Amino acid sequence: MTPWLVVGLPVVASVVGLAVRRDDRIARVVAVGAGAAALFVALLGWLVADDRAMLVAGPGLRAGELDVPLDLVVDPPRAAVAAVVALVALAVQVYSTWYLAADDRYGTFAATVSLFTGAMLLVVHSADLLLTVVGWEVMGWCSYLLVGHWSRRASARRAALKAFLVTRVADVAFVLGLVGLAAGAGSTSLGLVLDAWARPTECIDAETAAGSSLGGALTLCDAPDARVRAVLLVLVVVGVLGKSAQVPFQDWLPDAMEGPTPASALIHAATMVAAGTVVLAGLFPVLAESPTARWVLGVSVSVTMLLAAVLAFAQSDLKRMLAWSTVSQVAVMLAALAGSPLDAGPDGGLLHLWSHALFKALLFLALGWAALAAGGTAVAALRGSAADAPLLRLAVAAGFLSLAGVPLVVGGVSKEHVLATVWDGAVAADGPGVLVLVALVVTSSVTAAYSTRGYLLLTAHTRGGPEPVTPPAAVRAVLGTLLVLTVLGGLVVLTGTFAVHSVSLLWLLLTAVVVAVGVAVALRGGFDRDPAEVLARRFVPVADRGLGVDLLYRRLVARPVLRLARLVAFVDTEVIDAYVRGTVVGTRAAGWAGQRLHRAERPGAGVGLVLGAVVVLAALALLAATGVLRWS
Amino acid sequence: MTPSLVTVDWLVLAPALAPVAGVVLVLLGDAVLPRRFGGAAVALAALALVAGAVAAVWLPRAAGGAVSTLCLPAPDGACLWTAGARASTLQAGVLLAGAAALALLHEGRPRPRDGAVAATLLLAACTGGVTVAAATDLGTWLVALELATVPAVALVALRGTRASAHGGLSLLVTSLASFGLLVLGAALWLTATGDATFSRTGAAAAWADPDRQVVLVLAVTLLVAGLGFKLSAVPFHAWTPQAYAGADLGTTAFLAAASKLSAVAALLVVLAALTDLPGGPGPLAVVVGVPAVLSLLLGTLVALRQDDPVRLLAWSTIAQAGWVLVPLTAFSDAGLRAAAAYVLVYAAASLVALAVLGRTGARTLEDHRGLLRRDPLAGGTLTLALLVLAGLPPGVVGLVVKIVALAPVVEAGVVPVAVAAVLAVVVGIAVYLRWVAVLLSRQVTPSTLEEPSTARRPATLVVLVVGTGLLVVASALPAGLLAAAT
Repeated sequence: MTPWLVVGLPVVASVVGLAVRRDDRIARVVAVGAGAAALFVALLGWLVADDRAMLVAGPGLRAGELDVPLDLVVDPPRAAVAAVVALVALAVQVYSTWYLAADDRYGTFAATVSLFTGAMLLVVHSADLLLTVVGWEVMGWCSYLLVGHWSRRASARRAALKAFLVTRVADVAFVLGLVGLAAGAGSTSLGLVLDAWARPTECIDAETAAGSSLGGALTLCDAPDARVRAVLLVLVVVGVLGKSAQVPFQDWLPDAMEGPTPASALIHAATMVAAGTVVLAGLFPVLAESPTARWVLGVSVSVTMLLAAVLAFAQSDLKRMLAWSTVSQVAVMLAALAGSPLDAGPDGGLLHLWSHALFKALLFLALGWAALAAGGTAVAALRGSAADAPLLRLAVAAGFLSLAGVPLVVGGVSKEHVLATVWDGAVAADGPGVLVLVALVVTSSVTAAYSTRGYLLLTAHTRGGPEPVTPPAAVRAVLGTLLVLTVLGGLVVLTGTFAVHSVSLLWLLLTAVVVAVGVAVALRGGFDRDPAEVLARRFVPVADRGLGVDLLYRRLVARPVLRLARLVAFVDTEVIDAYVRGTVVGTRAAGWAGQRLHRAERPGAGVGLVLGAVVVLAALALLAATGVLRWS
Repeated sequence: MTPSLVTVDWLVLAPALAPVAGVVLVLLGDAVLPRRFGGAAVALAALALVAGAVAAVWLPRAAGGAVSTLCLPAPDGACLWTAGARASTLQAGVLLAGAAALALLHEGRPRPRDGAVAATLLLAACTGGVTVAAATDLGTWLVALELATVPAVALVALRGTRASAHGGLSLLVTSLASFGLLVLGAALWLTATGDATFSRTGAAAAWADPDRQVVLVLAVTLLVAGLGFKLSAVPFHAWTPQAYAGADLGTTAFLAAASKLSAVAALLVVLAALTDLPGGPGPLAVVVGVPAVLSLLLGTLVALRQDDPVRLLAWSTIAQAGWVLVPLTAFSDAGLRAAAAYVLVYAAASLVALAVLGRTGARTLEDHRGLLRRDPLAGGTLTLALLVLAGLPPGVVGLVVKIVALAPVVEAGVVPVAVAAVLAVVVGIAVYLRWVAVLLSRQVTPSTLEEPSTARRPATLVVLVVGTGLLVVASALPAGLLAAAT
């Protein structure tokens, strides 16, 4: 029952929270209390989870030929991800009580965050494609609400709408893919779907050894159609790319920074953008057998991680820098899935999801603190804002160290595992391993460079810096917890939760070298100057606009769609409706003609009609006589 | 004791005898008190009509089925008067519609001198209508039909204006033409079946023989054509708008309701002998279907262009005559029932609409602008009546009878008629809503009409209330109406 409790607690909290949203005090207690309870249950679930996946039966449904069991599942990686989601959600809830203390719609915000968390936990624990879709769509809706929380601002409304529309477009493909997979299996159960679409390798090997041709063996073993499988998986991958803000859907996420910072922390660290990784990890056994889908995924994430890292480096707004870094880091997670060899499993990606959740939450919450003091998130305002608060300085340092992937802190550990996994995949030479590996190495360097830049800017010594703001003890405790976990979280690999190979010293060394190159490049201008000013001054305005992709969306998607809509509306009103209006004109004209025919006020008209009737009768009789009209 | 030539049950004949008794009493009263008997004559006539209607409703219930009289001695044993539930209901409808027409006639006419004449004419016409519904032999049927028609000519002409003279002349010419056709048709029927009654056995025998079948079809064609005049079915409709507009309102009400009920009753007598023919109705469906389709389309289209409410109702009558003919193209018992139910609902709605016109005295649709606010009773009842005619809720019964009328047609697969009916429904909604929109309008034009005075027209008010009440009851319990029309 544990997973249902984990999912149910935040959902119940959101309903209750919505009911009591007028009273901030009660709303606060409900949100934080439910978050803490969910974290406790999730941790308990992680502790008791053993290696075998435990299926928790749901209230099964039967829809015609489709079996819908609505099961949840617990296994160690899922339990660990659920625990970190619950932890980040709790951190965000505690942080919001301070950050949004003056907001008149705090209660609604807290309830939405609770629902968002519940939806993400549902996706994490789901062993049923229908539940996955439900959680996925609820997250899309909640992200719309959270990004647009300050709906009095036009920019927030636009960003919320953009996030919603872009992810919805990709969701079309996602739902189509999952429906196709479920239809092929006759069930929405994840296990049955994997069984139905997996390649029966052993059977095929046995048949080929017995002398059948490959085609014959495929038929004998009732293997699924590889082309159909590839199409369906590509559709699912497209949906994941949309939700995870990967190329070509990347532009909505930086704009989503219009939302309050705690919401950004939640969206970026633990939910929404990471959900795609969880879903693809669940489908990994099938995904690994489809090179087409892996190539689509691999190419997209390779382009994304490098592009996003470069754009992050040149942002003039630090919150947007973190946003682009999320895009890049999610690409790293997905890279582990795209480049992993068949036997390695998806846990490298999940491990990076786990560690990214910790350090990205830390960074966002720290940045929110600094921005509250500085009154803005632009570089000019934030410069040196973390210099005078020791806890904030430490948090920023640990967060950026982790983001850069320095060995031994949590981000470094997970990134090394991703690198090692992708290396194995590249060596196996199946799928896009080499491409992904190259992109990963270069990205690691650039990541180190922009991490250095972020740290330098936030801790720079400035005269007359902003008045320091001191958050309450609870918020400091939350930051402290995240800080400790960011530094020591790498120890999770020793628990055996994630099925990853141990990493050799060589990889540690290689990572260190790559990071060092990035740091060195960033430090070319010395400690006191903005590296972006030194290295890419002219690129900054372009990067701020995200390479003008927004314009591209408008030109390539919005404008053609609107033009098509106008065309359809024109055809509807001017062509199709013309027939309708034509009938009106025709009807009135016929009525007029009929009236003209009856203007004679003499009885002669009646006599004329009698004659007409006689003619009709004569015609009928004639037809009868000639047999044209059959009587019987 | 020798067996009499014909057995007569006077009680069974009560629906026809009541108006006859009324005629005798009115003429007697007028002879005793000339010039001063008008008002009493109207009351007496109304009493006679209502009594006849009560008898018509009560008789088949008391007998528990069809009542017959004027039976010939065995072995032939045919009864010349047979009134089942449907015929009795139509008889009651004719008599009540006659009473309503009398009320409108009385209050619409400033000269009480004509009261006795008008009452006599109306009573005579109603006697004909009642008799034709129960007649089973050709002779009674023809005589009763003429009795139902000829007084109407006099009623139209009675007003004495040039327009009414035109209308009366128009009606007279068409009546004569239609009588000619009817006589010819009756003769052909006798030739085909060798039987002077409208019996199913005779018709079935004639249908089975190819040579006699042709004659039978020609007979039915001529009978339908002759009745088409009375029913105002296209192409025999030309007299209708002229007569409606030329006559005064009470006469129009008689033509619109009682006369139509008589005509349908007569038609049902003929067609009841022709239901469920082996091999399908074939050419007979064409004979009934062509006037049905033409009436539906022409009546609705021209009604759309009318601004005079009486003329609009005249063209609406033509369209509704098409609706009555629609179910008859199926030549089944369900079709007969549907036609009877339809014409009853149509008659009630038309009477209500005409009673409102009598109350308001409006001569154009614009005169009714904002009527619902000025006079909620008149506006509300007129709205309901128009919605019933259009077949829109809350005039539920109008919708029910339209569906009931279409069902047998669709079942029999007479597609062209069903398509025309659907088109007529669509255009018909526009016809009636055009008027309803004027009623509902918020803007009230300063009317030159005098304010309605309920005190001066109590009988019209009774017609309005009773007619609306019947429509509301039938809307709530449509099954009762359908049972009465079976």
